[in-house]
Amino acid sequence: METQIGIAAAAVTLPGRKRDVESLFQEESAMLNPDVAARLGIDEVPVCNGELASAMALAVCKEALGRAELDTAQLDVIVDYTILPQEYLVPAWNMSNKLQHELGAKKAFTVGFSGGGATNFLVALSSTAAMLQANESFMSALLVAADITIPGNRILNPSDPVSVLGDAAGAMVFKKGVEGSVVIDTELHSEGSYHDVCYIPGGALAHPDDPALYRMELDKKRFDKAPKSETLNNMLGSVLTRAGVTREDVVFALYPNLSCEDQQQFAERLGFSSDQINSDNRKHLGHLQGTDFVVNYLSMIENGIVKKEQYFLAASHGMGFLAGVSLLRR
Amino acid sequence: MATGVGIVGASYYLPPKTKAVTDIFRDEQIPAEPLAANVDFQRDIGIEAVHVASEESATNLGLNACRSVLEKTGIDPGEIDLIIDFTSIPEEYIAPTWSAAGIIQKEIGATRAFATAVNTGGCASYHTTLKVACSWMAAHNRYRTALLFAGDKVPEFNHTYYPITVICDGGSAVILKKGYERRQILSVEVATLGKLHDVWYIPGFHWRDPADKDRKWLHMTADIPKFNKEVIPINLFMFRKVMRGALSLAGRKQQEVAYYIYPTFSTWDQKAFCQAFMIAPEKVFTDGLQRHGHLQETDMVLDYVDAIDEGHIKEGDLVMLTTNGAGFSWGAALIQH
Repeated sequence: METQIGIAAAAVTLPGRKRDVESLFQEESAMLNPDVAARLGIDEVPVCNGELASAMALAVCKEALGRAELDTAQLDVIVDYTILPQEYLVPAWNMSNKLQHELGAKKAFTVGFSGGGATNFLVALSSTAAMLQANESFMSALLVAADITIPGNRILNPSDPVSVLGDAAGAMVFKKGVEGSVVIDTELHSEGSYHDVCYIPGGALAHPDDPALYRMELDKKRFDKAPKSETLNNMLGSVLTRAGVTREDVVFALYPNLSCEDQQQFAERLGFSSDQINSDNRKHLGHLQGTDFVVNYLSMIENGIVKKEQYFLAASHGMGFLAGVSLLRR
Repeated sequence: MATGVGIVGASYYLPPKTKAVTDIFRDEQIPAEPLAANVDFQRDIGIEAVHVASEESATNLGLNACRSVLEKTGIDPGEIDLIIDFTSIPEEYIAPTWSAAGIIQKEIGATRAFATAVNTGGCASYHTTLKVACSWMAAHNRYRTALLFAGDKVPEFNHTYYPITVICDGGSAVILKKGYERRQILSVEVATLGKLHDVWYIPGFHWRDPADKDRKWLHMTADIPKFNKEVIPINLFMFRKVMRGALSLAGRKQQEVAYYIYPTFSTWDQKAFCQAFMIAPEKVFTDGLQRHGHLQETDMVLDYVDAIDEGHIKEGDLVMLTTNGAGFSWGAALIQH
């Protein structure tokens, strides 16, 4: 990549209400024992109480654009990385268009991506960097998502819980020529045989009618079997080699807040210590899909963990289906 | 400004079963009154029959098209770096959580690729996807070969998008290659008008009425007053904008365009396009309308393939692919043959 593309600003909007995990387990008839609690490492999650996803998205976009001091009318592209169902059925409808109108982003066009869990954020990041790189006239892009969990579907895989899902909206503004948080490179790889490890089986063409199937399902056996951290480790190696950066140069990792167990597996396999990954957000917010990256990025900046010119990465296994690793430099 | 990406090949798949539009109008209780003084929807639509997938899944329609394009081009699936699903209506499972891209990757054995889906643009999703794919391929040397595909299957009694068109089921697939000298994509221009986001939409399961046995929550729904008031007056202006944009990016003039690929919605729509831009009807591929009706974003691929196969597009021709999508989006792409 020749032209420097970086993060100009980021913002997160969380609903005002939180629910403790214990009461959510009770509500969804799942068993919360000390072993499960330790594996998850999630105490509470933010929960919407009638808020519209697009209203949260609008608020967070305004906040991020304001922080970036960007005239909305100059925005070139709006990229939606939402992963949960939206107000109307995707791909026939997409929130990004509603946002384009409400923001007054008259010059922009919209694009959204589907699939891959939290890695959808990295797909959006990679495509954004590529669009800004390849199109001379493009100067700025807005990445946005708003994920509101399907009612009664906060415990992912209640029989053997893997995560607890919170509600949130996140936004990031990317600009050409930004000095800090520069995108160096992104590696993406999918394993097609895992396309249905985590998905919503009902409500579309396969099972249009059954309310019991309109929920996020996880195939735990195949999720456990998927070589998630190994894949990310190999991909990180490729990214670092291309960039001419060593592992020791990477001082921090932005990684989804799926669970304590998942974060530990990632850290151990890739050689990160516990203070090189944010675990506070996991405890108090749970898993916010791709917005985990935005939340953890903001914490990283606020805490001054990564100094100017130091490298950090963003990585996600996409529930075994779509893995992504991005290398960035402060 | 060329993208440096060429179209190695394109293909499509239509399920064998067909249904006459007269039967569709009867089954879907389409109004018989004329739309305007000189347009009668049922009489003038210009579509005789559409293909119907029946038991075949939407993914299977896309997969058959992918297999066809791989066979046609001789591309080894192991070479593919990028798979993008550009389907614009619901697939087997709920999006954006899922797309058919993963199944396609698995079924064709594209082990090196990463698979994703572009979920915006309506019938212009092919253009949005071309824009994204060409950008990825231009920005990175490791993305050299891309497979774009779509598989569209509408619910049984939702074949009429009244008052626009009648929908056919089918799939399409395109192989792009970086540095490919023939059929170079010179430029892609996309425009969206966010205020029109809800002119066409599908409500979704959470809006479902359990008493609704017709599963209307999965049907394309139109805000016709808004369509008439806000889309119709601006539609041709937006076509002009994206076509001019694509020509400007490529440094070419409209007079140089030898052939146009335009959606197969209806006879009156095709006529309006030709008249507005003073394009001779023989320079626009219109034959597909009567044969199969409208295939959402796949119109752009299917009509392009047929136009080449039937000798309408020749070596050296500059070809404009242009469409609108779901009332809010427009796209134009210039291909140098």
